[in-house]
Amino acid sequence: MLHLFRYRFLQIIRNFPNMFWALLFPIILGTLFYLSFGSAGLESTGESSWDEVKVAVVKDRGTSENARAFEEFLAQMDGEMLDIQDISTESEALKALNEETISGIFYVRDTPSLTVAKNGLNESILTSVLESYNQNAAMFREIAMTRPEKLMDALNALDDYRNTTAEVSLGGKDLDPNVQYFFALVAYACLSGAFLGVQSSVDGQANISALGARRSITPTHKLTLILIDMTVLFMIHFFNILILCLYVTRVLGVSLGDDIGALLLVDFMGSMIGVCLGVAIGCLARISYGMKMGVCVLFTLFPGFLAGLMFGNMKNIIELHCPLINRINPAAVLSDAFYCMGIYNDMERFTRCLVILAVMSTLLLTVAFLGIRRERYDSI
Amino acid sequence: MQSTNIIQIENLVKRYQNLVALDHLNLEIQEGEIFGLLGPNGSGKTTAINCLLALLKYDKGTITIFGEPMTPGSYDIKRQIGVVMQNVAVFEQMTVRENIDYFCGLYIRDKEKRRQLVDEAIAFTGLEDFTKMRPKKLSGGLLRRLNIACGIVHKPRLIILDEPTVAVDPQSRNKILEGIVELNRQGSTIIYTSHYMEEVEQICTRIAIIDHGHVLATGTTEELKQMIKTGETITIEAIALDEELLSGIRNLPHVFDVSYEEQTLKIRLGAARHNLVRVLNYLQEKDVRFGRVFSELPTLNDVFLEITGKELRD
Repeated sequence: MLHLFRYRFLQIIRNFPNMFWALLFPIILGTLFYLSFGSAGLESTGESSWDEVKVAVVKDRGTSENARAFEEFLAQMDGEMLDIQDISTESEALKALNEETISGIFYVRDTPSLTVAKNGLNESILTSVLESYNQNAAMFREIAMTRPEKLMDALNALDDYRNTTAEVSLGGKDLDPNVQYFFALVAYACLSGAFLGVQSSVDGQANISALGARRSITPTHKLTLILIDMTVLFMIHFFNILILCLYVTRVLGVSLGDDIGALLLVDFMGSMIGVCLGVAIGCLARISYGMKMGVCVLFTLFPGFLAGLMFGNMKNIIELHCPLINRINPAAVLSDAFYCMGIYNDMERFTRCLVILAVMSTLLLTVAFLGIRRERYDSI
Repeated sequence: MQSTNIIQIENLVKRYQNLVALDHLNLEIQEGEIFGLLGPNGSGKTTAINCLLALLKYDKGTITIFGEPMTPGSYDIKRQIGVVMQNVAVFEQMTVRENIDYFCGLYIRDKEKRRQLVDEAIAFTGLEDFTKMRPKKLSGGLLRRLNIACGIVHKPRLIILDEPTVAVDPQSRNKILEGIVELNRQGSTIIYTSHYMEEVEQICTRIAIIDHGHVLATGTTEELKQMIKTGETITIEAIALDEELLSGIRNLPHVFDVSYEEQTLKIRLGAARHNLVRVLNYLQEKDVRFGRVFSELPTLNDVFLEITGKELRD
């Protein structure tokens, strides 16, 4: 038995293309994030905070209720997150933007808008500010229409939230939008276990590969082979994720929280989801190995994208418009769990994430097992 | 000594939707044989092997190996079978030795015994100089030999080789065929599927000709050749033969088929003495000038041609 473990282990870790996707690629991506964001923003998962972002505010002539509310909102942010410059006309503002003395222009209109000249950390912060305003405004409009009597409570709750975050940040840490990328990255890396799972699944199915056929006609029980494969895959990928987490926390300086037990639990379930996802994809009948790897890329990168891997605020946008996607997207749930550990210390939300991850792990494990347990096939 | 059947296939039917891949296939294979399953591509050879190994579901029929019904859970039977697949089935990431050791480990738990068997398999397939190489670095012939080593390392009682010489150079092919005969000499029963009739003719002690999923004929090479009318085929290079002359040849004793294409005259005759002399005398009488002359005894291809009406190589 042990020698079967040993050889399966060797075979998987020597599969360089798959190990690249499962281990090296997330590390490279993390390094690129770090280099492109600079280290300043990342330190904010600790106790430091960022500089205020210089902006101009341009008002339209006729001001509506919405515009006034937005203007008030910006005024409150002045000195906290924003540094509103003394620029009143649009042409001056555009000139300042071109000269890069400001990072963006907020337009105070019925529908508030933002103009930026490039992509970058400050521009991302300004986008987040606008998104945050729109999100809250939409929520209050909804409450005003459906439950007007609760509007004051909601406003008070928002004030309470503001006070809390302004004076003592939840979990003792300030929020940097860039950190979202790293949470999404670790979540994506967990799903990348699918690349290992696909290969293992293909190697075990007599109707898919000659290797699968050869292994299926041996006197070693199929369940034993599955157990060995799955155990080795979980071990390797769990270790991959631990290496990544170590790199992200120790080298890149992004906090994933202080609760090592919780981190290991989330990493374990994330690894299991990734590997089982791959095994399930590997069982897909009659599509080529290349196609399966393509499906794998899709099923890892797309959830990663929805969890904020390419655009940090994506998860929040989805939360605003279709929160169900964030509940069923494993990358989003994993990212949320890391978020809870690293930023919020919100046990209720963390527990919800763990429950969803446990259900996903169980479901995917069942699907994967049902897919590969077959011993006799209709066609080969 | 009476031979015993170690494989018995009765009325095996396998359908793929409307296509009948195996049509009431019956086979009996005896211990100690090198049994050839000969048929063109798509005739049902590999399907029969996959059913035999309990990898494929089948619609009807029974399969017994070593007197026991063969099912996916027949681990005691599987322990005694070695299979060499048509496609090379090894791990690219492991060396030659590691691959052989891995597959041996699926049959043999004892470490010492395994080491001895792996050494023997490496020596048997002549892979001593390549044990630390990965499969990607091996030539086609060496790769096939590794494939065979992985299939026979546990010294099985029954070895199934499914077209093991496809895409192999002649030198490696001969080595593989010699190896198969040696395995049989050491006590293994062999099932050998191929569409190369020369190979089957060279090594098999008994042959089943299979087409459209059922057995057309079974017997030794000699028995199969005796089943057909052709006793000899004479081929002559000759220029400008007319219909009158060809008609004359058709009327010669024992001649039953004459064809003339691209200045090559092909005459099939029944088994009889002096066939060639009679034909050449006739051509000389008619003052026909001819070039090279070949006389061939019937081959398995002739057997296949007569039984099915088509060339085996089609």
